[in-house]
Amino acid sequence: MSANLQSHAAAESDAGVIKSRKKTNALSRWTKLLLKSKTGTVGFIIVLLVCLVAAFANFLAPHDPAAINPAKMLKPPSWLEGGEKAYLLGTDNLGRDILSRIIYGSRVSLLVGVASVILAGIIGIIVGLASGYYGGWLDSILMRIVDSFLSIPNILFALVFLAVFGPSVPTLIIVLGVTNWVAYARIVRGETLSIKEREFVRAARSIGVRNVKIISRHVLPNVISSFIVISTLSIATTIILEASLSFLGLGVQPPTVSWGGILSDGRDYLATSWWLATFPGVAITITVLGIIFLGDWLRDVLDPRSQSRS
Amino acid sequence: MKTGTAILDVDDLHTYFRTEHGVIPSVNGVSFEVREGETLAIVGESGSGKSVTSLSIMGLIDSPGKVEKGNILFEGKNLTTLGKKDYRKLRGNEIAMIFQEPLSSLNPLFTIGNQLSESIKLHQKVDKKTARVKSIEMLRHVGIPRAEKVFSSFPHVLSGGMRQRVMIAMALSCNPKLLIADEPTTALDVTIQAQILELMKKLAKENSTAILLITHDLGVVAEMADKVVVMYAGQVVEHTDVYTLFSNPKHPYTKGLLNSTPKFHETEEVLASITGTVPTPSKMPKGCKFNPRCPFATEVCTTQEPVLREVADGHKVRCWLYEEKEDAI
Amino acid sequence: MIKFLLKRVLEFIPVLLIISFIVFSLVFVAGNPVALMLPEDASQEDIERLTVALGLDQPFIVQYGKYMLDLVQGDFGKSFRYNTDALPLVLERLPATLELAAASMIIAIIIAIPLGVWSATRKNSSLDLLATGGAVIGKAMPNFWLGIMLILLFSVTLGWFPVSGRGTIAHLILPAITLGTGVAAEMTRLIRSSMVEILSQDYVRTAKSKGLRNFFVVYKHAFRNSLIPVVTITALQTSTLVGGALITETVFSWPGLGQLLIQAVNTRDMAIVQASVFTIAILVIFMNLLADVVYRILDPRIKYS
Repeated sequence: MSANLQSHAAAESDAGVIKSRKKTNALSRWTKLLLKSKTGTVGFIIVLLVCLVAAFANFLAPHDPAAINPAKMLKPPSWLEGGEKAYLLGTDNLGRDILSRIIYGSRVSLLVGVASVILAGIIGIIVGLASGYYGGWLDSILMRIVDSFLSIPNILFALVFLAVFGPSVPTLIIVLGVTNWVAYARIVRGETLSIKEREFVRAARSIGVRNVKIISRHVLPNVISSFIVISTLSIATTIILEASLSFLGLGVQPPTVSWGGILSDGRDYLATSWWLATFPGVAITITVLGIIFLGDWLRDVLDPRSQSRS
Repeated sequence: MKTGTAILDVDDLHTYFRTEHGVIPSVNGVSFEVREGETLAIVGESGSGKSVTSLSIMGLIDSPGKVEKGNILFEGKNLTTLGKKDYRKLRGNEIAMIFQEPLSSLNPLFTIGNQLSESIKLHQKVDKKTARVKSIEMLRHVGIPRAEKVFSSFPHVLSGGMRQRVMIAMALSCNPKLLIADEPTTALDVTIQAQILELMKKLAKENSTAILLITHDLGVVAEMADKVVVMYAGQVVEHTDVYTLFSNPKHPYTKGLLNSTPKFHETEEVLASITGTVPTPSKMPKGCKFNPRCPFATEVCTTQEPVLREVADGHKVRCWLYEEKEDAI
Repeated sequence: MIKFLLKRVLEFIPVLLIISFIVFSLVFVAGNPVALMLPEDASQEDIERLTVALGLDQPFIVQYGKYMLDLVQGDFGKSFRYNTDALPLVLERLPATLELAAASMIIAIIIAIPLGVWSATRKNSSLDLLATGGAVIGKAMPNFWLGIMLILLFSVTLGWFPVSGRGTIAHLILPAITLGTGVAAEMTRLIRSSMVEILSQDYVRTAKSKGLRNFFVVYKHAFRNSLIPVVTITALQTSTLVGGALITETVFSWPGLGQLLIQAVNTRDMAIVQASVFTIAILVIFMNLLADVVYRILDPRIKYS
């Protein structure tokens, strides 16, 4: 009963929101919705900051991330004894500035994360739509392929792929795209199945509208909100996956700077220089946290039905 | 009509829900009493606060809801100040409850027997064997055929009517002094409805159990109740015995309810002859809460709230129409 | 039940076929491995001779057929690095990985069940905020970094646990916590949301109205119901758990399948890579089957059909 009452009250305020929507434009409406959620706001700010850092890395970084300086090897962070003001987060075993490396590292993380998720989304949407819309044997085969992918851990598949093609950023994007499409395919298929049976799609079909047209007109717009939600959360897991692969030495290769790579370098100096391995991990965690917060907020706003069951 | 001692005395009950959208006064100063062996019906649309009243008596109001004010006396004990442990001893034992949805009110993962003997074991402190015997006896008592088999079945194999019989068996297994039935037949088929009501009536009579019946269905009221409380927007608007209610209703809302005579099988709580719906807490009108829907509303109704006033012996009404008359006299 | 199991096992066949096809295609695309097998000073003639001897000059379909024939007999080929059959090498490393995975799962369960249940029953309390906040952070941390931080704190600084290797319980603790944290985070979120939903169900109210103690209401009536989605999704996470184990093993030099596999990937020892992929896939499929069985035991409404 109490839940009932609350939903009454919630419905009340929703109605209020809908009314005010008409009055204001889309931007301020979204801002309002965002500010309503504390974690959503925090997530948005983190993501925005990381994007800005990546975009303006060359202005923000105090040093050249690749500049080797034997005189400044393994300097601790500036606030510790022996630290230098010029090197806020200390230096690595080759005297490179950790802060600058982390700033530049954000580029690869975001690039690989976003690009591979776009690729995964394209594959997933095509497979999901085809599977859900046409059904039949095509559906059976595609769903068996989905099952197969689900029984191989993402990272394992990525390792096999990298073993074959060798590590590089483009390979990494393709690998992670190909490993991640399954989640999209399942959701898109599910939504397509349910939309397919609705009146308007049946009606369109009955008057002989072509399948491709039905799909692009009616099905795609309806899956877009789940698509955005999965994509956001997918970027988070992909960033971790990329960092893991780079940490294993099978992802982004030097001289390109990546967070996983810095961490991997730092591991050998754990006993003496803790900052090498610590700060890149903090950067990954905060970034991923921001994306998760933003994704959770988007899920609540775009699709109130779905719970946290990704 | 029996005139036993009052078993339940609800006095000026206020139950509020403090949500992030503000305070919702679901029950706002409700008083009534239920005597031994008597059936009192609380009638109202959804949102009138009738279910919250029953859950307040059971002590099952969850956060953010709270009984803010008023007393609930059960056999002289004040339930609003009762400790958790003592309340548990009462619940399912001396006060039992039947809910609206027999389909979802039984746990799908446990057998009927498990759920039925649970409260018998708990309150009567008997061993498993005795509880089993008593449970099967109870199942027979509520007219379930092949009781042994049903005992070891899972809820999903039973029909809605059978499940409601199980719920009744469960509620009555410890011979409660008060049975609260919240829309016990709303979710059932018409033919089954009559059977279930008949069963409740019979069993209550046998044990002289008092019943607090929550319903929106005046057919059920006519069938079961001795006394009736009509609730609107968290308040009692009319309180009388069942004969007076049908022969001489006072409050315009009650009259509206009677005129709308919802079809027996209708589960939706729509009232054809009263326009509009129960106001939501955030848009509660000033003055009499019924005034926007009332065909007799005058200026005083929109500014000042009427009080519940006794207009005849045992007949209370909350309406300005009768205040004025009295003033004239 | 047996019929159901049989049906499910039969469903594995196409899945394994597809995996074999994908893996084989990848290896085929990878090109001729002969050069890697022979010493560096081998002549072109030697390479060609071995290529023909291994049948690697045959067309794709023929090679795939041969490969499948071997596969059915459990033959994944020879590891050129160890110069023995790949499968026994992989199976030899499996117990260590299973030990790590099991220990992590136990840690995850010990953390997640009380935390998830508590935060659901005390929704929006400070404990709930702490638990849900902790769960999100646990999910956001890369587990290899957590492992390194644990080594830094407990091994390097405090000296409580060994840095790496396998043998005693002390060796197991840090890797198990590393791997278990991510799983615990996801599980806590799941149990919480599942419990929140279940606690508002009518039958929970019925249980309360019987006068049952809160403990029984929560753990008997609500918790078992909330486990149904948790079991399903946790089983689907086996794949993530095994994936995490591969990395955790590298961080702690845990002598399991992951370490072997990553060495094999680095040296392009494809026989071991393939054998590992199949072993892990079968493991994951088996876990999903197990979850299905548990699910059916938990929920009497489901018939074996």
